[in-house]
Amino acid sequence: MALLLIAAFVASVALGAVFIPPGTILRILLNHLGGIHLLQDWPASSEAIILAVRLPHAVLVALTGAALASSGAAYQGLFRNPLADPYLIGVASGAGLGAVFAMSLNWPSTLLGFYLIPVGAFFGAIMTVILVYNLARVNGLVPLTTLILAGVAVGSFASALTSYLMLRTDLQLHRAISFLLGGSPMSGWEPVIAALPYMIVGMGLLSISGHTLNVLQFGEEEARQMGLHVDRAKVFVILVASLTTAVAVAFSGVIGFIGLIVPHIIRILWGPDYRRLIPLSILTGGIALLLADMLARILLAPSSLPVGIVTAMAGAPFFLWILRQAKREVFW
Amino acid sequence: MLTITSLTVAYCDRIVLKKVSLEVMPGRIMALIGPNGAGKSTLIRAASGILPIHSGKICVGGRDLADCLPGERAKIVAVVPQARQLGGAFSVEQAVMMGRTPYLNWLGREGEADKAAVRSALRRTGLEKFAERPIAKLSGGEQQRVLLARALAQETPVLLLDEPTNHLDLQHQTNLLSLVRNLAQQQHIAVLMAMHDLNLVAHFADKVALLVSGDLMSMGLPQEVLCAELISKAYETPVEVVPHPLTGAPLIFPGNRS
Repeated sequence: MALLLIAAFVASVALGAVFIPPGTILRILLNHLGGIHLLQDWPASSEAIILAVRLPHAVLVALTGAALASSGAAYQGLFRNPLADPYLIGVASGAGLGAVFAMSLNWPSTLLGFYLIPVGAFFGAIMTVILVYNLARVNGLVPLTTLILAGVAVGSFASALTSYLMLRTDLQLHRAISFLLGGSPMSGWEPVIAALPYMIVGMGLLSISGHTLNVLQFGEEEARQMGLHVDRAKVFVILVASLTTAVAVAFSGVIGFIGLIVPHIIRILWGPDYRRLIPLSILTGGIALLLADMLARILLAPSSLPVGIVTAMAGAPFFLWILRQAKREVFW
Repeated sequence: MLTITSLTVAYCDRIVLKKVSLEVMPGRIMALIGPNGAGKSTLIRAASGILPIHSGKICVGGRDLADCLPGERAKIVAVVPQARQLGGAFSVEQAVMMGRTPYLNWLGREGEADKAAVRSALRRTGLEKFAERPIAKLSGGEQQRVLLARALAQETPVLLLDEPTNHLDLQHQTNLLSLVRNLAQQQHIAVLMAMHDLNLVAHFADKVALLVSGDLMSMGLPQEVLCAELISKAYETPVEVVPHPLTGAPLIFPGNRS
């Protein structure tokens, strides 16, 4: 899986308006990171493209996919519902609203401004998830139908507010926001640097929540009787999954269905144990979004599609398929 | 030893249990009987320490459950929930391992002691050959044994069972209850078990507590509590009780056939 991730990563860096052979990429990387000084036999333009454009783009895409897939897996475990996905339950839209609100207050001309976007997104995400969870809960359970309905309603409301905010802002911000809503990762190293600390903390904490999520699958009362501090565990997972989603949304926009598809593929291949499901979702999420992003850049080359469109085109049929499976209670 | 002292539980303003006191000795089974809505399940849940209690005390070996953290509590009291259809793709072994929750480290990784406890719980419940099977694919009786094995993996001195034989056929009912009785005796576990079938209670319980509208109406040996007068009154239905021709245990059936 890790090898696949590296392969997808290299392919993502290689592809683009100008194709750069993987061998060259590796030599450029070695020259810069490995402390080895190789004879420069590649055009300077290749080096510039890779270091300033493609590399940060690929890193951000991989991180975003990893974050969305792992938080999707965590939401599914928490709600005991196979259709929970940061996009479908409205958290992504809520995070988008928070991010746009933060941007409209202070358009990031500095790195500090970049660091504040995820904070806004985080508050948006937390507020949405709490609202959706309480709206969707019936007798202590979160049924499929109410969860999706509440998610769609709250998500639409958040998107509407976001559009309203967007129309009130100036042109530069307007463009940034429309990219965000379409699901296109930002460019350059600044968003990568701003996202990295949150992502490492968020995904690290999700990875150690596997056993908690396993025990929660038996219901809250039984989880208590098995010795789990249920209320504390739930708050912890909600906070961490929302933080992880929020950071992904803040820098890459609203990208749907990755958090739905990836954990399901892993469940089918490696079983339901969340202690493995979450780390594998991180790796596979990175691969999946890199692939989707390459498709997005190839389909309409030389211009590119927002990657959110590609994931939605692949994800919506998948969603319907899971819906049919869930009726037969294959997973839960 | 499980000691419940003057336990009162209320949901909102409705009192569900009124000053219930009882004691279950290690190695013994106490059956909790009574009509629907008498508070049997509430007593089981309260005894597991997860319900807020109005007044009274639940102690295990002198330790008050109210003073325990969830993890410590799960090392002294384990619960086998009501039989129901279990979904999920977890294997039997994974499900039983979840009983080890209070013993696992912060990463949720299991050690040798946890694996040994799970193996022993699987062996004692006869589930070894199902270890890799998804629980959803098992029959009702087998699923109930998984829940029992999970509770055993908690290695507690007290075991609570909430109508463990509901929805099971005669064979699985007797198998499960024999298993519980043997485990109680061999491991010196104090067992408190809510039950509906009075004849099974007569056969398997060492003591019987009769609960009616949250009151402990009677408590004692099966032949003392399972008498026509008390049972007819508690269930508001005339019954006849005769001794079992082989064991002498009380046999209860509806009386007054008119």
